[in-house]
Amino acid sequence: MAIKKVRDIRKASINIDMTPMVDVIMLLLTFFMLTATFKAAESEAVEVSLPQSIYSDPDNKMRENDVMTLSLTKGGDVFVDVDNYKVREKVFGDQFAIGVYHPDSTSKSEVELKGTVGNKEVKRKIVLLNKASFEKALVDCKTVLRSVEGNPKAEFQVVIKGDKETDYGIVEDLMDSMHETNNKLFSLVTIIKADKKE
Amino acid sequence: MAGGNFDAPETGGKDKKKTKAKGVHIDMTPMVDVIMLLLTFFMLTTTLSAPQLMKISLPKGDVKDKVKVDMGNVLFVRVSDKGNIYFSNGHSDGSESPMEKTDIKNVAKQLESIYAQNNNLLLLLKFDRKMKYSVMSDIFDEISRAKIEKRYAFLKMEPADIEKINAAGG
Repeated sequence: MAIKKVRDIRKASINIDMTPMVDVIMLLLTFFMLTATFKAAESEAVEVSLPQSIYSDPDNKMRENDVMTLSLTKGGDVFVDVDNYKVREKVFGDQFAIGVYHPDSTSKSEVELKGTVGNKEVKRKIVLLNKASFEKALVDCKTVLRSVEGNPKAEFQVVIKGDKETDYGIVEDLMDSMHETNNKLFSLVTIIKADKKE
Repeated sequence: MAGGNFDAPETGGKDKKKTKAKGVHIDMTPMVDVIMLLLTFFMLTTTLSAPQLMKISLPKGDVKDKVKVDMGNVLFVRVSDKGNIYFSNGHSDGSESPMEKTDIKNVAKQLESIYAQNNNLLLLLKFDRKMKYSVMSDIFDEISRAKIEKRYAFLKMEPADIEKINAAGG
């Protein structure tokens, strides 16, 4: 190499070529765009604080569609929600309605009195149910699902999201209704926590 | 924000000559800004893995067709409203051994050791109506974790059960 002349060392601007970084960012963006699923704000789920569990069954994951979510709140309400707006429309009368059943006849439903679950207001239209109409709703949801999807064997995956503080009595009543309506299989949703090695 | 800079073509209309296309320098900074915003948005809103579930199955068939179970193959699991768990073995003659209190952390190991002696056991679950749901979830967690045949049935808690539990300390 030729010996360079000593010259004034002036601060030259550093030019980093950002092309590969933009390539990587575009790839990440494409990935996330393809894997994100959106839910309408009108059909937001009822908030419950889920219990934690260690065991996780890798074969038993929540389905992406045709899921019936039964959310049990601290106040003893059972929120009945399905993820198919056509079924909601036929069974509850409104695309974004949510059914509420309060099994305990000695107390009033929290959402009926105050319109809130804990501190959070429930923005969706509420359809109050008693035991008979709750069981009817369970059966109707299945029938409507089968007619909407054209599959006579279609089934919802029934998922129970219970709050940590819910009384077991609500679960017992709920299981009775489920047994009556021939929904024998369901799953509990929990927050998976890592097993602490003892 | 900088816009595109185009080198001005050489004079307007009069010339029939082709304008020499000089290099076009587009500043891509705003595009990268927008892409980063979109990326951040999607990173925050996407759910990558579906929540995992604990399966529960209720007995098939009507309540009318009761399955005959030898009471010797039964383990009663009673839980009080305070969350105290009591195990007791059933016997073929209908009687029961005294209840043993168990801690939730030991349930899985205890079940495994009990099943080691008799792996035809059916768990009869009796939970107090005032028990918290988190206790039920913990118990099912332990049952699922124990390496046993998962056979269980839910039963209603009778006044006799409540008396037994209160006698054992609630």
